[in-house]
Amino acid sequence: MGIKGNLRVARARSWPCVLLVVCLGQSLPAAADPESDQIAELRKELEQSMQMIRELSQKVHDLEVRAAQQSATPTAPGTAPATSATARAPTPPGPAAPTPAAAAPAVAAAAPAPPAAAATSEASRLTQLEQTVAQMATNAWQRAEDIGMPMHGFADVGVGTHNPEFPDYRGVDVGELDFFLTPRLGARTRALFELNFEVGSDGTVGVDLERAQIGYQFSDSATIWLGRFHTPYGFYNTAFHHGQWIAISLRRPRFIEFEDHGGIMPAHTTGLWLTGSERLGGDMKVTYDAYVGNSQRIVNGILDMNNAGVPRGSTIVGGNVGLLPGGALDGLKVGVDAFQTRIEDEDPTPAAFPQVSPYFTRVRSYGAYAVYDTDRWEDIAELHFFDNTDLTGHTGSHHSDAGFIQMGYRGGRYTPYARYERGSFQQSDPYFAAQINGNSYDREALGVRFDIDLSSALKMEFAKTTFADRIIRTYGEALVQYAIRF
Amino acid sequence: MWTGSVDADRAPRRAAGRALLALLAALATVAAAAAQPDLPPVRLSDLPASWRDDLGRTFDLRSVQGRAVVLTMAYATCHRVCPVTIRNLEQLQQDFDRRGLRAEFIVVGYDPEADDPAAWHQYRRTRHLTRDNWHFLVGTGADVQRIARQLGFEFWKMDEHVIHDSRIVRFDEHGALIATDTAAGQRFTER
Repeated sequence: MGIKGNLRVARARSWPCVLLVVCLGQSLPAAADPESDQIAELRKELEQSMQMIRELSQKVHDLEVRAAQQSATPTAPGTAPATSATARAPTPPGPAAPTPAAAAPAVAAAAPAPPAAAATSEASRLTQLEQTVAQMATNAWQRAEDIGMPMHGFADVGVGTHNPEFPDYRGVDVGELDFFLTPRLGARTRALFELNFEVGSDGTVGVDLERAQIGYQFSDSATIWLGRFHTPYGFYNTAFHHGQWIAISLRRPRFIEFEDHGGIMPAHTTGLWLTGSERLGGDMKVTYDAYVGNSQRIVNGILDMNNAGVPRGSTIVGGNVGLLPGGALDGLKVGVDAFQTRIEDEDPTPAAFPQVSPYFTRVRSYGAYAVYDTDRWEDIAELHFFDNTDLTGHTGSHHSDAGFIQMGYRGGRYTPYARYERGSFQQSDPYFAAQINGNSYDREALGVRFDIDLSSALKMEFAKTTFADRIIRTYGEALVQYAIRF
Repeated sequence: MWTGSVDADRAPRRAAGRALLALLAALATVAAAAAQPDLPPVRLSDLPASWRDDLGRTFDLRSVQGRAVVLTMAYATCHRVCPVTIRNLEQLQQDFDRRGLRAEFIVVGYDPEADDPAAWHQYRRTRHLTRDNWHFLVGTGADVQRIARQLGFEFWKMDEHVIHDSRIVRFDEHGALIATDTAAGQRFTER
């Protein structure tokens, strides 16, 4: 059985896990049955209280009628001041909605002294009762809201002259169905799980736990995460995630695609991540990330983030510092990032390289980015340099680079955008040579996003991609995507 | 062969037309009633009281009792939904101004970790939302969660993003919740 076969088995094995998660999600409301009983009980009490209010309102109404009848007869001297004093008395605190019950105290206060005293007493009781009922109703409503674990996500489908990720295919494509599980935890503990159903290069549906991170928030300016997270290089990789709805564009730049979609940078890291931001005074703000984790390896021409750990103790270490100047430059963010990792290639070495297995490459990446994100503009530029060294000593050091610039204009429901991206990867570098998508390329794209409503968007993109080495070719694309969030 | 008079022929048609109109009106009424969302049974006085405004000063939500209040939730780096919501608030402000009425406009931040008073102060300044009856409030995470639940603002955080809808709620001078607007720029449903 080949690696593809193994992948299919792994995917088949992952289905029961998915079913289990879905069943757990379904069973959560069922597990909340005692809560439902309590709500039913509260509703019952609420109905009883409302009945009591109706009865009391009727009594107040009777008093009002009686007072009106008495006012038709001559008022006894000395009663007027008492009435006035009662009328000037402050309204009891509490609900003042223009309901008959709430209006009752004022009306009752206008009655002659003996009935007024009775009415005030009734009104006071009525007000207290109404407050209790209102509180009960609020509590019941809130408790109903609390039931269950929130599950949200994104999904997209599309059609095009090529599949946007795997250009050998064309026609209608299923993009991904991405679930976010964000359990409500304590004040300091954070958790994020992202379960993604996606179609792979062989057309089968695979399931991936894209992110599984649990964190502790020390303060507003420092949170530490442990687990699998999006490697915080550049801007795009941590600003935009698997749900394509969140992004203006129809797809990610090719070189920072996710690993199983052909990305050539380690988009995910399994490790420890410290992140936060700090205001430097005034409007200026600095953001920072520092992380260490399992180094990645190349399996079947694709980067793998070593979820289970590394067999030979290699690590990825990196950091990112961003600056938001604020003030007149509100919306601008600039930053730099760097990481170093030792990549192990377990695949058979390409013929052009010495036959060594496994093959080790030290990857050093330095990057810089600038973002201008306002209510009107979303402009992003990123540049990454790679200084890689063949640790087997056969091919020496290699320099490569990649970058993109994207400009988007938010014009109401339409957001047109343009992007140019380019990757220049040394094919003598075993790190790029071993990856399926490690060939040099450039791509120009023009597109538009149309927001149908607040939770769904239609995107259209025209693109031209040119591969500059390995197999030199150019192809054009016309793509449509329907993306939603839920 | 046609034998009846024109009027005699039109009368049943008119009756049928009136019946159809009545049916449509009834259906529209039923549809409107069905479309009216449930307003949570909450009063202004039930909401968390202690907040900070965009200058870092303590802001007691009870201080606006006795006045009409328009309230929404937002986050400062939102460029898709919140600008629409804020534009709707500005239109409401114009409506109040036209009618010679005063209301307090309150914007509660979804994400107190990212949006501190300074962030909201900058937000106000760059968008010229400087009227003194507009208040941009920062609270504790717990209070933000609580007010969102009380007023039906559904949201979830995904890293730097807050995924949410556009919603505006309105309280009358007595602190009673009287209206919600659940979709950006579409309608106000009043109780």
